[in-house]
Amino acid sequence: MVLVLAIGDLHIPHRAPDLPAKFKSMLVPGKIQHILCTGNLCIKEVHDYLKSLSPDLHITRGEYDEDVRYPENKTLMIGQFKLGLCHGHQIVPWGDLDSLAMLQRQLDVDILVTGHTHQFKAYKHEGGVVINPGSATGAYSSITYDVNPSFVLMDIDGLRVVVYVYELIDGEVKVDKIDFKKTATTQSAH
Amino acid sequence: MSSASVPEASSTPQKRFSNLRGVRWRVDLGILPSSPSASIDDLRRVTADTRRRYATLRRRLLMDHHPPKDGDASPDLTVDNPLSQNPDSTWGRFFSYAELGRMVDQDLSRLYPEHSGYFHTPTCQAMLRRILLLWCLQHPEHGYRQGMHELLAPLVYVLRVDLDHLIQVQKLHEDCFNDEFDGIILPESDMISNYRSRRIRNWDSGIEIENNPYKVSNGLSVGELDPHTREIFLLSDSYGAEGELGVILSERFMEHDAYCMLDYLMDGAQGVLAMASFFSPVVGSSTNLPPVIEASSALYHLLSIVDHSLHAHLVELGVEPQYFALRWLRVLYGREFCLDDLLVIWDELFSSKNSSCIDSDVEYNFKVLCSPRGSFVAALAVSMLLYLRSSLLATETATTCLQRLLNFPQNPDMKKLIEKAKSLQMLALESNITSSSSQRLSDKNKLNVSRGYSLPSGSAMPKTTVSVIPDSYWEEKWRVLHEDEELRKQSNSESSSSGIMKKILTRKLSLSRTKSEPLEGKNAQSQSSVRRRLFDDSSKDIVAEKDHVKSECYVPAFVLDNLNSGKNFTEKLVDQRTSDCMVEETLLSGNSSMVLSTATSPHDIGNDHGYESEKSSVTSNSFLGDNDEETLSMEDPCSQNHQDEETINMEEHCTQNLDNQLAQDVEATSSVVIDTVPEQVAAPKDRKSFPGKFQWIWRFGRGCDEGNQKSLAGYSKKDSCNISTCDAIYNSNGVNKRTEVGDKKVMDTLRSLGQSMLENVQVIETVFQQDKGKSDNVPNNSLGGKGQGAAITALKELRKISNLLQEM
Repeated sequence: MVLVLAIGDLHIPHRAPDLPAKFKSMLVPGKIQHILCTGNLCIKEVHDYLKSLSPDLHITRGEYDEDVRYPENKTLMIGQFKLGLCHGHQIVPWGDLDSLAMLQRQLDVDILVTGHTHQFKAYKHEGGVVINPGSATGAYSSITYDVNPSFVLMDIDGLRVVVYVYELIDGEVKVDKIDFKKTATTQSAH
Repeated sequence: MSSASVPEASSTPQKRFSNLRGVRWRVDLGILPSSPSASIDDLRRVTADTRRRYATLRRRLLMDHHPPKDGDASPDLTVDNPLSQNPDSTWGRFFSYAELGRMVDQDLSRLYPEHSGYFHTPTCQAMLRRILLLWCLQHPEHGYRQGMHELLAPLVYVLRVDLDHLIQVQKLHEDCFNDEFDGIILPESDMISNYRSRRIRNWDSGIEIENNPYKVSNGLSVGELDPHTREIFLLSDSYGAEGELGVILSERFMEHDAYCMLDYLMDGAQGVLAMASFFSPVVGSSTNLPPVIEASSALYHLLSIVDHSLHAHLVELGVEPQYFALRWLRVLYGREFCLDDLLVIWDELFSSKNSSCIDSDVEYNFKVLCSPRGSFVAALAVSMLLYLRSSLLATETATTCLQRLLNFPQNPDMKKLIEKAKSLQMLALESNITSSSSQRLSDKNKLNVSRGYSLPSGSAMPKTTVSVIPDSYWEEKWRVLHEDEELRKQSNSESSSSGIMKKILTRKLSLSRTKSEPLEGKNAQSQSSVRRRLFDDSSKDIVAEKDHVKSECYVPAFVLDNLNSGKNFTEKLVDQRTSDCMVEETLLSGNSSMVLSTATSPHDIGNDHGYESEKSSVTSNSFLGDNDEETLSMEDPCSQNHQDEETINMEEHCTQNLDNQLAQDVEATSSVVIDTVPEQVAAPKDRKSFPGKFQWIWRFGRGCDEGNQKSLAGYSKKDSCNISTCDAIYNSNGVNKRTEVGDKKVMDTLRSLGQSMLENVQVIETVFQQDKGKSDNVPNNSLGGKGQGAAITALKELRKISNLLQEM
C-alpha cells in the first residue's frame, strides 16, 4: 500500500502560475509516501511545496530548473520495484518509446518515469513500465499548446502496481487506472 | 454432566464459578446465562454463538478494508482513487482505519508497563489491537477513545488467568483431561486442544513413555473429581454442545471472548451503566450533560449527603468532580489501583446488577445511580474520597487537592474501601429518587446507613463517625488546620497560587505608591473592615500579604503630602488612589475566591475623622485574637500611631502623642514585618529599601525621632490593611477564580506601568537623599528648591501614569 506520486513539468512561474485548484485539494500531506518529480518545477517554492506533501522527494533536473544541483537520472527501490527517474529532454527523439526503453535498460529499472513531452503516457514494455505523468499545471510544451493537466499516482503493493492517472479535462478531474504486475522471475542481464 | 454445575447454593449465596473470574464476569456482564439452572451445555451454546458473531465480524471488517482487487466490477474511479476526498470511498476508509490503528498502537504501547511480560508480547498486542479496532469499526459513532484499552486489558487478563488455572488443573488430573484410554495417544493431525499439543510435545521427548508405560495418575475418573475440578473439566471439555467452539475456557477463542466482554461492558447489555457513554461527549437525553459529567455530579451529590464538610471544601476550592472523576470513571478505576486490586473491585462491580431498579415512571436525579452497578461506581468514588478525607481537607488550592486525588495511595486497604462502598451503594440508590415519599424513605435509610457506618467499627475508618458529629466540629478543626497552614505558609514563603497573587499584588501595589492617604480617619472603616476579616478565612494570608506590601507604598504619599501640602494635590492623589483601588479590584476579582459578607466602598475610606476611631480600632484589634499574630501586632501600634500620622499630615495639628514605647513596638513589629515581607513577596529589593528610606525621609521631613518614622511606617501598614481589606471585600463578592486568566494581560501592562512609577518615586527619593545629606532636622517644607522641582516633575509623571490606569 505504498503510494508514490509521479509529477512534473509544472513550469511555475514561467508558464503557469500554480497547480489547478482541484489538484491542490487532492494533494494533502499524509497520504503519499514518495514523490518522483521529473523536473522543470522550476523554482524553490514548488520544491518546498512538494516537500510538504511528503518528506521523501526525488527530483531530476529539467532544462528550465533553477536549481542546478538536481541529478540527471535517479533510481530507487520501493517495495519490490526498482524505479527510475529522468526528465527526458536528454532522450532524443523526445518521447520515443525505443529510446526510453534504452534508458530503462541502462538504468535497469522496472518502472521508468520521464516527462518533458507534457503528455501522459503509460507503456508496458519488455517486462517493465514506462510512465509519463504529463504536466501537472497544463503548461505548454515545446511541441504543443494543447496540454491537459495531469499527474500519476502509483499504488505499489507487493508485486503489483496500480497506476492511477488524474487528468483535468474541461475542469473536471478524471481518474483512470492501469494495473501492472511484475513477474517475479524478471532478472536483469547483469 | 449437567448436575456438576449445581452450585453450593444451600450453604451461602455463593456465586457460580467463584474462582473462575473470566467465566463469572461473563455471567455478570450478561453474556452467559446467569440463572443457576443453566446447564453447561446452555453456556456452551451461548458462548459459541458469540464467538461465531465475532468471527464473521472479523472476517468482514478486516478483509474488506483493502481496496478492491482485480475482477471487481470497476467502481467509480473518481470516487475510489487513493486521493479521493470522499470519506466513504474504500480508500477513505483505508486511511481512517490506518489512523485508528495508529492511535490504538500508541495507547497499547503504554498499557500496563508493569505487566509488560504479558501485555507487551506481540501476540497479545496484536489481539488487543484487533479487538479494539473491530469494536471501533463496529461502533463508528464512538470511535476510539483513550481509555478503552484500559477497560479491555483486565478482561483479557482474567481470561488468561482462567486458562492458566485450567492448565494447572489439567496437569494434576492428566488422564481425565486427556483422552488416553489405553495409554496410546491418538494421533490427531489438527492439534486443537491446547493441552493435547502440549502433551504431544512431552510425548515426543519420549521420556514419559519409557519411564511410565502405564500412566501413573491420580486414579480418579471424571465422576470422582471434586466439584470444582469437575466443573473445570466440563468447561474445557470439547465434546459438549457446539464442540470446540463451545469450550468455555478456551485459549483459541480468547480473542472472541474478550471482544464479547468488551462489547457487553461498553453497551451495558440494556442496563444502565454503559461505559461507551462515558467516552462520548453526546449529551444524555434526560439531562443536558454528557453522561460522564452527570456521573461525576452524581458522585458529588452522594458525597454531599455523606460528608457535607468535605463536599463543601471541595466545592469551595473549585474542584469540579470531573477533573478527577473523568479518569476514575472512564477506566473504572483502572488507573488508580494495581491490577490485582482492580480485579477485586471489578468483581464487586460486576456482581452488582446493571438493570435499573427504579420504575420508569419514577423521577430520578442521576441516571447512573439507577442501577446497583452504577451506584457502586459512585459509592466507590465517594469511598475513595473519604479515604483521603484528612489530606483533602488540608489542601488549600485546587491544584494540590487534585494532586492528592489523582495520586491515590499505592496500597490502600481494599477491604475497607469496598465495604464502605457497599454501605454507600444503598444510600446512593435511595438518594436518586426525587419523590417526596422516597425522600422520607431516604432519610430513614440515611439513619440506617449512618448506624451502619459504625458497624464495621473494628475495621472502621475514623470518618465513619462523621454523621454523628456535627458539621461545625469539623469546620472548627479545619479552620484551625487552615490557620496553622497559613502561618506556616507565611513563614515558609510557600509559593502557590496565592503566591502568584501576592506577586501580582505587589506589582499592582507598587503602582499605588504615589497615592496619598485620605488620612482623615480611615480608622472607622478599618474597624468594620477588620471585623469582616474575621469571617474570611482564606483571604487572610492574601490580606496580610497586601498589608505588608502596601505598608511602604503609602509612605511616599505622606511624604508627598508633606512636600506639597496643598489640599488639591492631596485630593488628586486621593482620586488616583481610588482609581487605583478600582483597578486593583479588577485584578483581585481575577485572583480571589473570597466570599465575604458585605462590600465596602473604597470611597468611604477617606471620610472619617478623629481620634476616637483610633480607640475603636484598638478594640477591634483585640477581636483579631485568633487572626494572624503578625498583622495583629502590626495593627496595634499602628492604631496607636494613627494619631501621629494625622498630626504629621495636617500641619495644623501638631500634637504628638508619640509613645516611645509604642514606637519601639512598632519598630519591632515593622522590622518583623519588613523581614517577612521580602520572604513572602518576590517583589524587587526597592521595596525592602523603602522602610529604611522612609525613615530618614521622615526624619528629614519632620525632624522627628526614629519612632515617628516607624510609626509612620506602622500607620501606613495599618492603613494599607484597611484599604486592602476593603478592596478584598469589594472584590471578592461572588467572584470566580477563573477569570484570572483574562486579567493577566491587564496585569502585565499594569506591571510595566508600576515599574515606571517606581522609577519616578525613586527619583524623588534620591532628591531627598541629597537634601538629607545637607541638613538634618529641617522642617518639612524647607526643601531645597531644586530638589523640590525635581520631585514635582517626578510626581507629574506619576500622575500621568495613574491617569492612564484610571482609563484602563
